[in-house]
Amino acid sequence: MTEVVRIKALDGTLVEFENEVRASGGMKDVYFSPDRRTVVAFFRGQSDQATRERIEVITGAYREKIFGQEGGDYLKGLFRWPTAMVEWNGRLGMVIPFYDSNYFFEHGSKNGDMLGIKGKEKDGKWFASASNRARFLDSRELGDWRTHLQVCLLVSRAVRRMHAAGLAHSDLSYKNVLIDPTSGRACLIDIDGLVVPGKFPPEVVGTPDFIAPEVVATANLDRTNPARKLPSRSTDQHALAVLVYMYLFYRHPLRGDKIHDVDPMVDEELAMGSKALWVENPTDTSNRIDPTKARTAELPWKDTTRIPHTIAGPYLSALFTRAFVQGLSDPTARPTADEWETALVRTMDLLQPCRNPSCEQKWFVFDNTVEPKCPFCGTPFHGMLPVLNLYSSSVEGSFRPDDQRLMVYSGQSLFPWHANRNLVPNEKLRAEFKKRVGYFLFHEEAWYLVNEALPELFDAKTKTAIPVGGRVELVDGGQILLSKENGGRLVVVQLVHST
Amino acid sequence: MSGRRLPVYLLLDTSGSMNGEPIESVRVGLESLLSSLRQNPYALESVHLCIVTFDLDVKVVMPLTHLAEVRLPEIRCPASGATMIGAGLEKILELVKADSRPSAPDAKGDWRPLLFVMTDGKPSDTAAWLDAAPRIRSAGFASVIACAAGIKADPQSLRILTDTVVSLDTMDSSTFASFFTWVSAAVTSGSSSAGSAAPALPPPPPEINLVL
Repeated sequence: MTEVVRIKALDGTLVEFENEVRASGGMKDVYFSPDRRTVVAFFRGQSDQATRERIEVITGAYREKIFGQEGGDYLKGLFRWPTAMVEWNGRLGMVIPFYDSNYFFEHGSKNGDMLGIKGKEKDGKWFASASNRARFLDSRELGDWRTHLQVCLLVSRAVRRMHAAGLAHSDLSYKNVLIDPTSGRACLIDIDGLVVPGKFPPEVVGTPDFIAPEVVATANLDRTNPARKLPSRSTDQHALAVLVYMYLFYRHPLRGDKIHDVDPMVDEELAMGSKALWVENPTDTSNRIDPTKARTAELPWKDTTRIPHTIAGPYLSALFTRAFVQGLSDPTARPTADEWETALVRTMDLLQPCRNPSCEQKWFVFDNTVEPKCPFCGTPFHGMLPVLNLYSSSVEGSFRPDDQRLMVYSGQSLFPWHANRNLVPNEKLRAEFKKRVGYFLFHEEAWYLVNEALPELFDAKTKTAIPVGGRVELVDGGQILLSKENGGRLVVVQLVHST
Repeated sequence: MSGRRLPVYLLLDTSGSMNGEPIESVRVGLESLLSSLRQNPYALESVHLCIVTFDLDVKVVMPLTHLAEVRLPEIRCPASGATMIGAGLEKILELVKADSRPSAPDAKGDWRPLLFVMTDGKPSDTAAWLDAAPRIRSAGFASVIACAAGIKADPQSLRILTDTVVSLDTMDSSTFASFFTWVSAAVTSGSSSAGSAAPALPPPPPEINLVL
């Protein structure tokens, strides 16, 4: 039996943990509580006053600010946020909720878990690497392209909330973002390194692959030198863009074939720092990846001609271009977490299920052509594909496009936030708006919208009201009013016939 | 494009005094080193291992092999015999030169290699040792870690080779296990942080004495 230590946290609550180090990170040792619902992480050695003050506001004021508000309960699932500060034998520590079981491998690796990783944490690196996915992971662990978009959405949402509170994570990387591609969930960990306004920044530069170019380029300068760039919200924005790119394309946006220097260390520093160049830069092609030199396991992902970033659709493509063309040298051009979240929500609405039952990605973004096909397995779409273009009005009777679309497939749902522009699907959405209000059905060679909870649904072409329980056929050029309220949406139907 | 390789060389003492429990413990340690590296997604992308042993002879028991393809070879120990560590180092220098894939104008080269040297005694080939050890220092290794195992080993003499010398007081399996856990952590930190800064060594486990 391991001895159970009982101490009082700074806020007076009782903290229990078993006196045995269960895991060690770069700076901390981790102990488990007897009920396995929390862990206590202690810094190794003495902590300075700056760290103490930082942990105090992270576990105190900032925690209350983020979780004490509307949507706080929802956000708890997105963070493993330290709940209390403790001190034991002169070491500073904090109480952190335990991870949910879905962040540990259920099946692990191929061939009956040949690597023995079952039960281990799902480090995001497993999923962000094309060769690890193809060679080692059990296919049941991989999820599909839709769950990867969901993962990116949740990471963006968590970062957006943090930034809105004035905080920067400072070390966003696959190590500090646990993901579960099978359920499409994600969770930010290692919150103790946050950059808190008015407090000394933590002593981290970040994790290679995710450090912003200006931080890499000035890493050799002294910390007090004003030219030295330290982690901040804009460096988080770079890391977030890299994460999203890697979780969708399983390749690093800056790791191409360009050789900057014969010394690998110098080459690396230049490639990630002052000479950073996107592998898909539209004009400077010198860092393109030569797919003929890639390993089989890395294809098709390392072939940017076969899997260009544009397969993620118009909203995300525009953000990738900003992040990796202008944003590498101009931090102010980087998309915010809020922009990523919005773009990902809209992109989810552009998804189509692939017709090929053995397609590994299962979902793809509609490519806005009359002959859509899955970019991953090449399977074309056959049949009738309705595309709903969303319009809304600011002046009564006059509707303008919202640059938002909803792709229809069997089983696709219509939600309140489609019917009204003023509703945003995020942590603040009230429960009553989370229920679907309609769904789509293909019946006898025609597509229908079935009304479940839209009291004002109106077919504007035929001037007929569609009662709850009724249905309206989706025809090319059709106009359907979803709601007459302020912000209510009008749908303009386009019908793609693909043979 | 294929990622850079991180070559890792293990130079192990198989002289007569290692016979019996010590060599068994090393084998167990190697197995756990291998399985813990294979559980690491960063290491799986870059680490290549090479194992060389030395007693009276120097043997390349496993040439540089990708982590995923490694099959641990049998490591034998003669019943008695000399500790030709100088010849062992000479072989490492030769292998590193032959294996190395430097950067070319159109291909990314290897990361700088890591070297782990483990011995339980004093060099029998003193002249060769004194000749080869300083050359290891300038051979471009990212880091060299020497391990003096057991009471007969002399940690101080290994400092010609590197500033990082660890000493193991006993040669039982748990001591070797903690050493190889540390090796794994060192390799892992090399494979995940290779690049922007020289990889920092993780703190050694409490059972190991770091000779500085």
